[in-house]
Amino acid sequence: MAEIVLAYCASHAPMMSAAREAATDDQRRNFFGALDQLRVKAAERNAQACVVLSNEHFTNFFLENFPQICIGVGERNWGPTEAWLPIDKAWIEGQPALADHITRSLLRNGFDPAISHQLELDHGVMTVYYELDHEFRLPLIPIVQNCAVEPLMPLRRAYEFGHALGAAIRSFQGLERIVLVGAGGLSHWIGTPRVGDIEEEFDRWFLERLSTGKLEDVLDMPDDELELAGNGAHEIRSWLAVAGAMSPTTSRTLAYEAIYPWITGMAVADFEPE
Amino acid sequence: MSLYQLHRCVWDQIRAGEVSSGTGHSFDANRYELGEEERKAFDGRDVAALYALGLHPVLLNAFCRASGYSRNDYRQVLQQFAAPEGRTARWQR
Repeated sequence: MAEIVLAYCASHAPMMSAAREAATDDQRRNFFGALDQLRVKAAERNAQACVVLSNEHFTNFFLENFPQICIGVGERNWGPTEAWLPIDKAWIEGQPALADHITRSLLRNGFDPAISHQLELDHGVMTVYYELDHEFRLPLIPIVQNCAVEPLMPLRRAYEFGHALGAAIRSFQGLERIVLVGAGGLSHWIGTPRVGDIEEEFDRWFLERLSTGKLEDVLDMPDDELELAGNGAHEIRSWLAVAGAMSPTTSRTLAYEAIYPWITGMAVADFEPE
Repeated sequence: MSLYQLHRCVWDQIRAGEVSSGTGHSFDANRYELGEEERKAFDGRDVAALYALGLHPVLLNAFCRASGYSRNDYRQVLQQFAAPEGRTARWQR
C-alpha cells in the first residue's frame, strides 16, 4: 500500500519565480528555505510520485465547461503555460496508474471529479513543483480545483474531498511513497481595486487554525466572508484538501511572509506525524 | 451582446500570445458578438470599462499584463470602484 511520506502546502505566486529578487533577503531565505527543506526530505524519503493540488486559472477550462475538480490522469502534462514565467517549458511525466486509482476511488466514495489526459500546468502547479524537484523527474499527478469561478465548492466539501483523496492514495498498491502538495493562497487580490493588498491577520489566523486542528470556524465560512481576505484566498481549498487528507495530523508552519512585491501572503506548512 | 462573448474574446486574445502545447491560434475580435460598449472597451484596452462591464478579475489581471499595465497602474485605474468595507470577518473579531 502507498504511504503519504510527505505532505505540505505552499503559497504560489508567479512572482516567486518571475520577480524572485523583489522580496527581501530575509523573506526569500525564510520562504524558499522552507521549500528547500521539503525538497531534501522528499529525496531522503525516496518519493516515487507527487500529487499537487492547485487552482484552475482559466488555463485548461473556460466558461463552457468548468469542473470543480479535474484530475490529470495522462502519461504527461505540459507546463508552464505562461511564456514569461522563467521556468523551463517541459513535458512532465504523469503517473496514470495512481491517477486512475485515485479517480475510481473518489467515484466510489461520493465525489465526481473530471479527468483530463493532458493538462496545461500554469504557475499554480509549476512554481511549487519546481521547488520540489528542479529537474522535473518526480512523476506528477496534477489536480486542478475551481477556486475562481462562482459557484465554488464549499470549504467543508474541499476538506472532505481531501479526506477521500488521502484514503484513495493510501489504498493504491502500485507505489509506496507519495508526496502530497497543496499550492495556493494565502490572502491576495487579483483584478480588483485591492490588488496588491495582503490580509496578514487572516493568514496568521488560518495558519493557527490549521496547526491546532480547530478548523470548524474555517470550514463553515461563506465565500463572501472569505473574500474579505481577497478573491485569491479561495485557493485555501487546496490547503484544506491536504489538511483533510492528513487529518488528524495537524500542520506545522515552516514559514510565513507577507511579500508585497509578490502581492501575496506567502506561507509554507507541512503535516508530519508525531 | 453577451458577457460570455466578452470573456471568450479576452481569453482567446490572451491565449493567442501565449505558449501552448502546440495548438496555434489566430485572433480576430470580429468573430465575437460584442456589444458596442464591449467592443469599445476591448479595442481601447479600457481596464476600468472592462471591470465595470463585469469581466472576471482573473481575466482582467491577465489582460492587464498582456496589455502592458503594471499591477500598480491598474490598481490606480480601479480605485474609482473601491468601496469602504463595512463588514467584519471572523478573524478580525
